[in-house]
Order: sequence, then C-alpha cells, then structure tokens
Amino acid sequence: MKPVRERTQPPARRPVRVIVRTARPLSPELGQRIRTYLSEALGRPVAIFFEHDPSLLGGIALQVGNTVVDASLSRSLEELRAKLADHLRAAVMVSAPGGPGGVGLSRETLRSAIELVRSYTPAPVVEEVGTVIAVGDGVARVSGLPSAMAGELVAFDGGGEGMVLDLDVDAVGCIVFSGGDRIVEGTVVRCTGRVADVPVGEELLGRVVNPLGDPVDGKGPILARARRHIEGPAPGVADREPVNVPLQTGILAVDAMVPIGRGQRELIIGDRQTGKTSIAVDAIISQKGSGVLCVYVAIGQKASSIAQTVSVLEEHGALPYTIVVAASASDPAPLQYIAPYAGCAMAEHFMYSGKDVLIVYDDLSKHAAAHREVALLLRRPPGREAYPGDVFYIHGRLLERAAKLSRERGGGSMTALPIVETLAGDVSAYIPTNTISITDGQIYLESDLFFSGVRPAVNVGLSVSRVGGDAQVPAMRELSSHLRLDLAQYRELSAFAQFGADLDKATQAQLHRGERIVEVLKQPNHEVLAVEEQVVMLFVLSGEWLDDVPVDQTRWFVREFLVHVKEAYPSLMRRIRETGRIDEVRGDLGRALDAFKKDFAGVMGRHAESA
Amino acid sequence: MTGHVIRVKGAVIDISFEGEEDLPPIHSAVFIAKPERDTGGPGRGHGGGGGANLGSGGATVVAEVASHVGAGVVRCVALSPTEGLRRGMEASSDGKPLAVPTGDAVLGRVLNVFGEPIDGGPPISSADAPRRPIHRRPPSFEEQDTHLRMLETGIKAVDLLAPYPRGGKVGLFGGAGVGKTVLIMELIRHVAAEHGGVSVFAGVGERTREGNELWLSMKRSGVLDKAVLVFGQMNEPPGARLRAAYTGLTMAEAFRDEKAQDVLLFIDNIFRFVQAGAEVSALLGRMPSAVGYQPTLASELGALQERITSTRRGAITSIQAIYVPADDYTDPAPATTFSHLDATTNLERSIAEMGIYPAVDPLASTSRLLDPRVVGERHYNTARGVQAILQRYKDLQDVIAILGVDELSPEDRRIVARARRIQKFLSQPFFVSEQFTGIPGRFVPVEETVRGFEEILEGKHDDLPEQAFYMVGTIDEAVEKGRAMARQEAS
Repeated sequence: MKPVRERTQPPARRPVRVIVRTARPLSPELGQRIRTYLSEALGRPVAIFFEHDPSLLGGIALQVGNTVVDASLSRSLEELRAKLADHLRAAVMVSAPGGPGGVGLSRETLRSAIELVRSYTPAPVVEEVGTVIAVGDGVARVSGLPSAMAGELVAFDGGGEGMVLDLDVDAVGCIVFSGGDRIVEGTVVRCTGRVADVPVGEELLGRVVNPLGDPVDGKGPILARARRHIEGPAPGVADREPVNVPLQTGILAVDAMVPIGRGQRELIIGDRQTGKTSIAVDAIISQKGSGVLCVYVAIGQKASSIAQTVSVLEEHGALPYTIVVAASASDPAPLQYIAPYAGCAMAEHFMYSGKDVLIVYDDLSKHAAAHREVALLLRRPPGREAYPGDVFYIHGRLLERAAKLSRERGGGSMTALPIVETLAGDVSAYIPTNTISITDGQIYLESDLFFSGVRPAVNVGLSVSRVGGDAQVPAMRELSSHLRLDLAQYRELSAFAQFGADLDKATQAQLHRGERIVEVLKQPNHEVLAVEEQVVMLFVLSGEWLDDVPVDQTRWFVREFLVHVKEAYPSLMRRIRETGRIDEVRGDLGRALDAFKKDFAGVMGRHAESA
Repeated sequence: MTGHVIRVKGAVIDISFEGEEDLPPIHSAVFIAKPERDTGGPGRGHGGGGGANLGSGGATVVAEVASHVGAGVVRCVALSPTEGLRRGMEASSDGKPLAVPTGDAVLGRVLNVFGEPIDGGPPISSADAPRRPIHRRPPSFEEQDTHLRMLETGIKAVDLLAPYPRGGKVGLFGGAGVGKTVLIMELIRHVAAEHGGVSVFAGVGERTREGNELWLSMKRSGVLDKAVLVFGQMNEPPGARLRAAYTGLTMAEAFRDEKAQDVLLFIDNIFRFVQAGAEVSALLGRMPSAVGYQPTLASELGALQERITSTRRGAITSIQAIYVPADDYTDPAPATTFSHLDATTNLERSIAEMGIYPAVDPLASTSRLLDPRVVGERHYNTARGVQAILQRYKDLQDVIAILGVDELSPEDRRIVARARRIQKFLSQPFFVSEQFTGIPGRFVPVEETVRGFEEILEGKHDDLPEQAFYMVGTIDEAVEKGRAMARQEAS
C-alpha cells in the first residue's frame, strides 16, 4: 500500500472582501444592517467597503469576492439598450442585407421593439469578475475569473481589452490589447465568453481595421454578419491539392522567373528600402478584375507608411477588393502579435467559401520582435537571438493556413506573401532561415542591385519558387524557360569581364544579350503588366530582334512595340489572353515585330541624322 | 483516475489528481473532454484527437504526463491545442501511455500522432490493428545487430562518398532551402520502390503541402500500399510534433518485431522534434541550457534514436533529415544528432548556389561504411582520391583568387581542372525535380559511379569540357554529352 498523500492545506478563513456600491452614500444604520446580513449569509467574516458612485443612478451593486451582483439602475438601462440595439440591427439585416444604407424601420419592427421595452423586467445581473493584481508593459495578472478559458477575450472596466494567455491556480495572466493606460491595480475584469475572434466577410472589403476588427478609417461601423476565431487549424494533408493556377503579380521579373501559384507561400526577403512592400502592393494591384480578394496586414510599421500604402491601393482602384489590417508601431506589442492571425482569419473565411485570396504580411520580422517582447514579459526564457523557443511555431502555424484546397473542400485558395527584413543582406540569420524553411520559395531583393538601377531588385540566383512553375501559363513557361539561366550566366560573366579579359565571340554575345534582358526586366513601381503583355515582352526577348538595338533604348523599344501591338493587333492580345499559348500567334507576332523594327530603325536613323 | 485541470500555460497543463490513490505515471496519457464550442466555418476537422481511446468523437485534449510536481499534481504536455480549456475541467487517465494501431491495417494510410486516419478513409478498427504503446525501452545490448551492408541509393554523391548502411541510421543535414526534402523524396522514390519491405514516413514539423504531394505521388506510383505516413506538421502544437516521430517509430518497430520485416523509416525532420521539446521545456519549469534548448536535449534525443535500431529479428533502416538552424552546424541540436548516425550527408548552401544539386558537401559527409573491408578497395580508394583532390582544390582556391589560375604549377592546374570536373560530376538530375530542371532523373548503379570517378581521377576525361559533366548520370553519358557539345561548336 502506498502512503496516502497529504492533502493540500484547507483554505484559510480569510475575510471575504465585499464592496457595496450605491448611487448615494448610505446611512450608517443601513450600512451596519448590510454588514450583519452579509456576514450571516456568507457564514464567514467580511471586510466591507462602501463606495458611492452617482453613475449608478439608483439601486445597489455588490461585489463579493469574485462575484458581482448588479442590481443598479444604470445596469438595467444598459441591458435594455443592448437588447433594443440587437433587435433593431437584426431587423435591419433582414430587410437590407449587406449594408446599413438609409433604411427606414418598418411599422412591424417598431411594434415589436415597443413590445420588447414594455415586457422588460429588470433583474439583478450576477457575473463572475476578476481584479487586476499587477499590470505593466502590456501584461496584466488578474485574480479570480475561475472559469476563464485559455485564449479567451476579457474586458477591463473602463474600456480595455485583453486575452487570457496563462491560467494559474488562483490567477490568470493576460496580454492587454487596448486601454492599457487606464488599467490600474484593482480594475475589475470580466470574461466575454469569446475565444479571440474578428468579424469576417465582404463587409470588411475596402476598409482599414485594427487587429480586433474595429474600423480605423473613419468610414463608419462595419456590420459584419460572421466572426471567426483568429487561431485555427490549417487544412490537413487530405484537404489540399497541388498548386495549379497561377497568381499573376504583374511584375515581369517575378512572373517569368519566380512564378507564384494560388495557394503558395512565397517569402519576400531583403534589406530595408529594397522594394519589398512595392512587390507585394503591385501583386495586390495586379489582382484587379481577377476575382482574387486581398488582405494586407501591416505589422509594426509607421502609421504614415500604412496610410501611404492605403492611398496607393486606393489610387489604383485596388481598395474595393482589399482589407487592410493595421497594427502600427505605436500599438501595444500584443496587438501587433495577433495582427497576422486576425488577417489570416479574414482571408480564411473567403478561402473556405471557395474564393481565391492573397494575403500579405508586412512584415514578419517585426511580428517576431513583438512576440519576443510579449514572451519575455511573460518570463519565458530566451533562446537564439533572445527569441523564445516557439518563434518557429508562431510563423509555422500562421503560414500553414495558406493552402490550395481540394475540390471537395470547395477549391478555394490562400496565397501568402510574407515579408522578412534582413540585416546587411544576411539571409542565413535566424528569422530569415526559419521563414525560408516554412515558405515554398523566396524572392530575394538585393540593395546592390537596387542602387545600380535594377528595379525590382530581384536576385535571380537566390530567388526560387518551389511550386509555381507547375502553375505558369504555358506561353510564359515556354518563353521564360531559358531566361533564368541566361541571366545567371550573364551575372557570372559580367563579374569576370570587369577584369577586361579578352572575350571570345560567344561570351560577348552572352553579355550582349544579358544586358538587354536586364533592361527589359526593369519595371517601375505600380505599373503592373497583364499576362498577355508579359508574353509579348518575353517574345521580343526570345529572338534576335534586340541584338542591334542600343542598350539604352531597349526598354523604350519593347514598351513602344507593346503599345503598337495593343493598338494595331488587339485580336492577337486577346488570343494570347484566352488560350495562354504562343504557338499559334508566333508567326503573326514575329511579322509584326519585323515591320515595327523597320519603322523603328527609320526613326532611329532620323534621330541620329538630326543629332 | 480522475483529476481536474488547475493550471494551463501554453502547451503545458497541470492536473491535480488529489485524493486519488494512484497518480498516472510519467509518459501516461491523460484525456480532457472539452465541451463542444461553436467554431466558425469548416476546416476544423481535427481540433482534438484520441477519440478512439475514449470512444467518443467530441473535442478531447490529449496530454502526456511529463513530471509529478508534488501534492498530487501532474504536469503534462498537451498533444492538442489548449485554447478553450478552463480550470476545473475533468481529466481522466488509465495510467497507460498513448497507444497507436500497428500492423498491416495501417499500410496505405495517412495518420496523425494519435494513429487516427486523416486521409478521409474509414477508421482503423482495433480488431485488425493491435495497439502498441508509443513509449517502450530500446532493444537490449544482446539483441543489437552488428552486420554492416551497403544500401544502394543510385545517387552518385551519396553512394561514392557516404554510402548508406542497410539497417543503419543516416542523417541528411542542411540549412533552409538547400534541398533536404527533395533528396529525401528522391531516396523514397529509389529505395522504397526497390525495397521489398514496408516503409514508414514520419513528417515532423514540416510543410503540410509536401505531405500532400508525397501522399499523392505515392498513390500514383503504387508505393503507398506498402507504406504508412504519419504527420505532426508545423501547424500542430509542440506536443504533437514531439510525439509524431514516436508514433511512426512504434509502427516501424511492430513490423520489425512482430513480422520480422526489414523496415525503412523516413523522418523529415528530426530537428523539429528537438525544437518541439525546447518549446515546452521552459513551460515545464526546466532551466534553459545552451542557446535556449532544453537541458534534456541529449537524453531526449538518445531515448528516441536508441530505439531506431536493427535487431536480430529485423532491420530498421532510417533516413532522417536534420534542419540546421541559421546554417550553424555548431547549434546544439544538429551537433548532438551527429553522434547517433552511421552516415551523414551534409548539404551546403554554397554548393547549392553554384547550381550543383544534390548540394552534397563531399568533404563533410561521412559514413562508417567507407571502409575497404565493407565497400572494397576500389570504391574506398576512389572515394578517398576524390576527397583528396577536392581538398587540394579548396586549399588552392585562395591562391587562385589572388593570383589567378595561370600562376599555378602545371601539376596544380591539372588538379584544379579535374577537381572542377569532379564537382560537376557530383551533380545528378533527380526524378522528383524533373518538372523544374526539365531533365529526366537518373539512377546510377554504384559500380558505374565508382568507375566514373575513377576514370576522371585517372585523367581519362581531361579533354572533355567541364559542362559535359554537369547534370548527367554515368560517365558514358558525360562523354556522349561532351562529344555532342564539340559537334555543336564545330558546326
């Protein structure tokens, strides 16, 4: 027989803390009567405190330990107001789904509302509360709340919101999302019964929201009809299918050499100021008319940069199909930490209803830093580069939720473009290698290229796409197959050629060609190209047409030819767009190019003569 | 035994079994029934697990006892997400470890860490699949099999420099994106297809997309009927990633012990197992060790690795991928793993950047089998010859960078030329990456591999251009390619 273990000590007979709140101060006799009554009813000694609070209007509110019995007038009015608001909102939803609009209330709605008010009987509200023991640095420790769930949202009196992270024997640890400056020791905390969630659905499109789903763009409330947990499992092995549809970013260098498919996770990585955000924003702009919905999550950025991005999207007509989730640098770290999960939940809602979504996380380096801040404040021990042990898991579980769903699951997809910032071009640092090991490839931007005028500054050697090749449009695949190799060889040779070595003919031809490819791939920000335009440009590159065009005029030549084809041969462009093939238009396009080149030579010649 | 939840911190749960006569011992499974909660939308298929053990399909949190902390409280690692748990929830345990189905009934299936199917197929009834606990002792000293034989992989760089032992343990080391998974997929294709016995694939903390692709490709090639796939991927809680390797291993052991079969065990990626342990270690109340890893890193890894072994009854050949965080081979996780392996293949980013795939580092990869008594004198001498010439080239590289190739002695220049040919010849087109390279894969028998490198060392092919050796199979193919290039040049 084993010895019976000792029981833990019985709870001490500590006095119960009771707070009696009334609108007006109570008379001493009445106070004494309440004191006697309570200690008898509870069978324990009580430590009683009287408070008067005119905002109660009338009635009485008792807080006994962690339970509040609220029989005040203000609470009853508040409850009635909430009921009425819910009732009216439901009625408006039924009559005009999709928006608040200018809706008049029907007679029937009014009648039922009056009935609701008439039949309302106030009753004391009994609820469980906790009180803040300690607070600071965005983290609060709360006593009480015995039935709080891990991950549940809590409301602080005075308007703050937070989330339960740790459940301890007699207290819970919370992270604070908002209102942190109003929370003090003793602030009352209530459970909301909701695991952290955000509003989702089409109502959010075109809006800028914070990570809790509240609008921050001043365009009025969002009447979303559905909510979704910010955390959720990723689609499993059998729920997926291989990536097989292209996602056009509208950037020739990317679509030709690092193609992205719907449902792929492609990392955009590079030093600061190398055009990472521009690539992501161009990808969003390029989705116009394609039916792909977009979510842009800004994490820890300057508020002014976020505003700029939003105005760029607006300018290019991309906002109506985009949700912007903004957690700026001044938002508390916990709010920055949940931002990508919130954005992901919004994107997931569309994916599971069979739509295609593109989500941009800008950027995950700042997200990792926000997570590190929260984790260290919660006293989790630091590991490599002081990041906590689960820094891989937070990004793994986020990015795994982006997928191409199988037909049985509705066939929707979520393409993720996470952005990670490197320091001094070091891709083998901790967070960059972590995210590289999660994503399906990376677009590596290099500051050397950027400053030497190659923009977008894609380093073709280090950029890969592990799955997108399968999804490319046939014409693109065919025309771009040698581009990567040609460009890589050009880079190697050009470094070599700097020594002024004697070059043979073949090498010179390689260099000649490489210079022109680099020129054609240059592309200004926010000037996205449709797939047929890209095909035409790649077609020009595929032959020997550019060999005698001066390097500095190559770009101009290709752009002019593109304009020419669009004007003179709209049917050709349509054929490419519809079939996605090049074979049948190859001849026509070649002839058009020959003719165009003759004219171009004429123009060039005159130009030279006049000079 | 019934207790109740008193504390939840991330993936670690404290459960009080106060008043119970016995406590669930360490490693036993504890089940916490979570009341159904409204969850938005589809895609919430596998929130919980262990349904089979409890006989109910509700959301159940499964946890494993990690330690007893006193006063009737046990500290557990959750294998399911802990969101939505409350204090006071009832927990039950029968004092036994998690048990998973084994035997022929699991073949052709995709399972999670609990041994439950996640391929949409019918459940596995316990009648045809005897359950085996995932925790057990490694085979004893006297049961160990000491016979060394070589496993032909058909991959030149592997067979020549770091031959894999049949019934041994092999590690593929590499940083992010240098081609570990591609190499393991190619090995599955070559070895699993040729191999007579069964294969077990444990996906630990890697991409679910790759799991899906592996599953579809195994279905297509017909290998799936002789294989079982177990997944605890990177989106799953640390507890699931910590135990998915055990689940796969338990199934492999059952084939070895009960059917006396030769088993192939693929684990992608064993680093994620260590990483999952590190994630929960601090929450379990342990002090952190070097680089924030768990103090128990070596013993945790040892407990798993020592079970992956061949006995007199049957063999387990295991091929494990090991992620090298931040390309740092001195990181405690890969460094500790090295000593458990019979052969290692190191993949190097600088080689991948040269476009040479597989990016095997010929000077860092090792094998216990590279011994004249095992592979024969000819193979041994060729392999060492290749390493010697590559080492010489490496030493010369600084000189070349400063003075240029022309300043070298004729002898050294010849060495450089041959070394560059060898470097190129170590590349090989893969079947699984055919869609990217556009070149069909090659399986090169080991005699052909040895002959090819031997001939280059002897200088038989000094006249062929370097490019002829790139992305080819046998040496005959390189010769052919070289001739074709010469013809093209002439015309």
